[in-house]
Amino acid sequence: MPEPLLRVDDLSMVYQRRAGLLGRRAQQIRALNGVSFSLGAGETLGIVGESGCGKSTLARCILRLLRPSGGRIRFDGDDLLALPDEGMRVMRQRMQMVLQNPFSSLNPRLSGFELVAEPLRTHTAMSRMEMADRVASLLAEVGLGVEFMSRHPHQLSGGQAQRTALARALALNPDFIILDEPTSALDVSVQAQIINLLLGLQRQRGLTYLFITHDLSVVQHISDRIAVMYLGKIVEETSSEAIFANPQHPYTQALLSSTPVPDPAADRQRTILPGAVPSAANPPSGCAFHTRCPQAMDICRAQYPAARFVARSHRVSCHLYDESA
Amino acid sequence: MALLSIENLTVEFNTPFGAVYAIRGIDFTLRKGEILGLVGETGCGKSVTGRSIIGLLDDNARITAGRILFEDVDLLRLSDAAMHEVRGNRIAMIFQDPATALNPLFTIGAQIMDVLRAHRPAKRGDLKTDAMSLFADVGLPDPAQMMHVYPHQLSGGQQQRAMIALSLAAEPDVIIADEPTTALDVTIQAQILDLLRVLQRERSISVILITHDLGIVAETCQQVVVLYAGRVAEKGAVEAIFAAPQHPYTRGLLAALPRPGSRGSDLQVIAGAVPSGLERIAGCAFAPRCEYVMEICRGQQPAFSDIKQAHQSACHLHETFADA
Ligand SMILES: Nc1ncnc2c1ncn2[C@@H]1O[C@H](COP(=O)(O)OP(=O)(O)OP(=O)(O)O)[C@@H](O)[C@H]1O
Ligand SMILES: [Mg+2]
Repeated sequence: MPEPLLRVDDLSMVYQRRAGLLGRRAQQIRALNGVSFSLGAGETLGIVGESGCGKSTLARCILRLLRPSGGRIRFDGDDLLALPDEGMRVMRQRMQMVLQNPFSSLNPRLSGFELVAEPLRTHTAMSRMEMADRVASLLAEVGLGVEFMSRHPHQLSGGQAQRTALARALALNPDFIILDEPTSALDVSVQAQIINLLLGLQRQRGLTYLFITHDLSVVQHISDRIAVMYLGKIVEETSSEAIFANPQHPYTQALLSSTPVPDPAADRQRTILPGAVPSAANPPSGCAFHTRCPQAMDICRAQYPAARFVARSHRVSCHLYDESA
Repeated sequence: MALLSIENLTVEFNTPFGAVYAIRGIDFTLRKGEILGLVGETGCGKSVTGRSIIGLLDDNARITAGRILFEDVDLLRLSDAAMHEVRGNRIAMIFQDPATALNPLFTIGAQIMDVLRAHRPAKRGDLKTDAMSLFADVGLPDPAQMMHVYPHQLSGGQQQRAMIALSLAAEPDVIIADEPTTALDVTIQAQILDLLRVLQRERSISVILITHDLGIVAETCQQVVVLYAGRVAEKGAVEAIFAAPQHPYTRGLLAALPRPGSRGSDLQVIAGAVPSGLERIAGCAFAPRCEYVMEICRGQQPAFSDIKQAHQSACHLHETFADA
């Protein structure tokens, strides 16, 4: 098997926070806890989970915008956490990120041209003429005409702003793009346009995506594989088809049954989970999901279940699938 | 039985750029005990409709035409004092962000006691018991402790439950819920939608549920009104409309949704963009984006046609579609 483009091994991230009166008590927030996965070139891995599960921390660790507390990240064979700063600067050209809210990620003072040209200016020695050509062709690639060169973010619709953010992310010809809820702020019809654009760009450029979202129907549409996260851990990972056809983890099953389906005739059994996601500052013992799990057993409160393969390339961390059970 | 009827409601806003035509004449009816979904994309007028009903429009708003009949009384003709009564006792509204709707300075208990005191003056019984039983009804844990907590000590889902408890304290007939779950995680959203269904069933409360999510409509509502650019494109029973959407806009919206099994294929998109609220629209508001557009669509606003009983679409093509 060829080396995957991205390989994450046993990644942990603990935030230190001052808590209590006058911040005298140190509080540890375990945002990532032993996360491992790999992602082949040209593939899309969807990361699904609710707020606070560690999705965005994962993205920031991969791009080394945060220093993880433990684990390894290999990108195209290089150990990212061991790279010197200059090496990482070069590497970062190949790794880009697009965020949920383009209006807060795009500098409002810059025009479309300046926004897309900025990475070219920092990382290449292009002349202004070359740059203008390049920006025009990048904008065309994301479906925007040359008139958008002079538009500022406040003059853009949500969809146009997200296209501009994508053009900027593509400027340095990356291999890998992390998409953090890229369509969550958009209307259905605009969301469809952006999803189509992402699929098209992937076909044309052979891009590799890490697609982070809370929306299962969007993520299954675009992903080859899906990893479901709960409180800093991947609880299930398998193909996009199998997540829907054959979900194994009770949390995945509940997420699916909570996701509204636009078909009133669908015969659906609802599992409504009680309570809310517990705080990562004070996670439950054993399997962190046991406080909400409809099938929790004694062992779940005591011990975290190791990951097991229930089928080829379908792994689950849940005591229901223990060998002895 | 019609509880609330909106007739030709037309709302404009004065702005430095000119008049914004937010609601361009809409009609729909909420019946007793049903959940009606008001659905459409951003800016189509969902919130303005909700706020018009409850009489809480921004200062620069003007209702230029229409009636809002609640039990045959036109709410638009009520005095401020009478409207205040309606808002307190009959129609309640809850919002997307409960944190801003709850008062951060008072405990949840104090806030609900306030409402109870105002609405049940005759009743001398134990308000505190009533408050705690409302907290229990909306599924808040440990109702006795809830009396003493402040809004910021609750999670988003719990804040929304507290907000619903507060609105129930006045024993309203109608709750207008404006995107009540948009800020919540999907498992918490499922809890809140379930709570709305329980309230409908057990207290026969009627609900106008404002949302942009067609999945929520399909799972929660009996009736749906699809808005486009301040007009009703299509309305009727949820089953009928999802099974056979008639308006090209509704069809486009449903086709644009990713669904299991569609992986990797291009989604259908609706070309173009929503018209600006500053534009006057002569014909069908959807004409510039419609793949079936005809000459008549640009000049003449389509009237409603009964496709079947209880399913209406405002489209010049309706005869064509009805035959198809
Ligand atoms: N105070 C105001 N002044 C000017 N225009 C306004 C005002 N309030 C609302 N509008 C306009 O009225 C139209 C309808 O707005 P409304 O808030 O009802 O949309 P919505 O359907 O609720 O959208 P969303 O899904 O984004 O909540 C929009 O064009 C909006 O810009
Ligand atoms: Mg709104």
